[in-house]
Amino acid sequence: MTQTKRPDSAAHTAGGAPAVAFSGVTRSYGAVRAVDGLDLEIAAGETVALLGRNGAGKSTTLSMLLGLLPPGTGSVRLFGGTPQAAVRAGRVGAMLQDGKPVPRVTVRELITFVAGTYPRPMDVTETLELAGLGEFGGRRVDRLSGGQAQRVRFAVALAGNPELLVLDEPTAALDVEARRVFWRSMRAYARRGNTVVFSTHYLEEADEHADRIVVMDAGRVVADGTGAAIKRRAGGSLVSFDLAGASTGPLSGLPGVSAVEVRGDRALLRTADSDATVVALAGLGLVRGLQVAPAGLEDAFLALTSGNAPHTPAPDAATRSAKELA
Amino acid sequence: MLDYIRLEVRRTLRDRGFVIFGIGMPVLMYLLMTNIGAGPGGAGMEWKTASMVGMAAYGALGAAIGTGTGVAEDKQLGWLRQLRITPLGPVQVVVGRGLTAAVTVVPALASVLLVGGLVNGVRMPAWQWAALAGLLWIGTAPFTLLGLGNGYRLSAQSTGVVNTGCLLLLSIVGGLWFPAELFPGWLRSLSSWTPGNRFAELGQSVTQGGAPGLATVAVLAAWLALFGGYAVYAYRRAARTV
Repeated sequence: MTQTKRPDSAAHTAGGAPAVAFSGVTRSYGAVRAVDGLDLEIAAGETVALLGRNGAGKSTTLSMLLGLLPPGTGSVRLFGGTPQAAVRAGRVGAMLQDGKPVPRVTVRELITFVAGTYPRPMDVTETLELAGLGEFGGRRVDRLSGGQAQRVRFAVALAGNPELLVLDEPTAALDVEARRVFWRSMRAYARRGNTVVFSTHYLEEADEHADRIVVMDAGRVVADGTGAAIKRRAGGSLVSFDLAGASTGPLSGLPGVSAVEVRGDRALLRTADSDATVVALAGLGLVRGLQVAPAGLEDAFLALTSGNAPHTPAPDAATRSAKELA
Repeated sequence: MLDYIRLEVRRTLRDRGFVIFGIGMPVLMYLLMTNIGAGPGGAGMEWKTASMVGMAAYGALGAAIGTGTGVAEDKQLGWLRQLRITPLGPVQVVVGRGLTAAVTVVPALASVLLVGGLVNGVRMPAWQWAALAGLLWIGTAPFTLLGLGNGYRLSAQSTGVVNTGCLLLLSIVGGLWFPAELFPGWLRSLSSWTPGNRFAELGQSVTQGGAPGLATVAVLAAWLALFGGYAVYAYRRAARTV
């Protein structure tokens, strides 16, 4: 596996155009706004995770990125041109979420065909190796297991040696081991100087495998940065303790506290200032089994997407999450 | 695009359903209709020849329309969507699919003609065989377009049913199974306006030593234009969602 940067990437990026640029993009299905005013720029060579729950607008965003769906308003540009132009020039490869295996072809036949449609394809054997399909070349695509078929879809995306690799929930059907292999291949491909955009609702995946995480909720970007930055942005720590029958009423009014959750007899407080919160709890005598922990990415994600974070003052979302927490 | 045609031809010929029903059925029906119930002396050479043309036409028609069924399946599988994000252009994909039909009709057509010549002893000069095969081959174009139109327009399930319905209707009313001369008068006159009938007429005229009449060519051209328009309309509609 070569670690060299793409020889052609310098020429392609000479104009300085970002690999992906969404500006003011909106897309509705009937009355539902799937994507709502999306502005997003991805530089060539970046590996970006699009993180969000089901229905957050990730797939719609990727469909528009690939030119499969025209934006309602706004513009989508790939390498400074239209998505269609980038696709026709063979600069894009994609793994779609809803693709099913094509019947009556072997893995190698399929990958050879796809590679042949690109101007500068990857060697077929190399593609199969990279996708973990080395021994399945002669097998019929429709006779593979779900996980193997998923690897075929990855190989289809890689076959043309595209500068921009788009993966829509690439690990959905994979077991733990297959996932590890998949991410290793993906990172090897990204290291060659390629741009990779993948969507996921697994936080760990986004944190571990992307340089940058774009968190989407209700069709908008609610956070954008490295995993560490997003954790910071969501604010601080989790303070938990045993309620031992105490009332939860005053907890949400304590200094620093942004959310209160009760699990069994244990109260969990999300706080921006754990010191002040702990002092206040001590004043109330609520210190049994007290623990202070930094908020994980999971908590950060929930905070960001439920509207609790200070930078997303969406009143309806805040009310909803307050109800959920209560 | 050649690679695409090669891939799709391969996929079609590996389809057991296609081989059995698309190639085997017309041959079997031809043998049945010319050898069973024909009396001790067997069927006359005239019927053996006419039925050979009819069944070759039926086989070719089935293979041509069946291409559309494949398109509907590909649409459902997401394969057409995947093709849209390769450098292959949408026009190349549609034209490639159409040309795939031009290849897959050949075995359906050739097998009936071979059985006619080798088993049923149909004899014609070489130019007549060549002209017959060539005209029947070209004449499949309207049916390919009809099948493609259905394939782009309808879901995979309905396409299968609608295409099979079209095949049977066009074949039977067109007189490919039983000669249109046996039909009641009204059906005979209706039949002469259908593409299936005129398609077989292309071949029958050659076996009778002549060239296809102007009316036959005109009726087929009209159907070609109609089905072509339908295919373009269906594709444009589908392109929004595929």
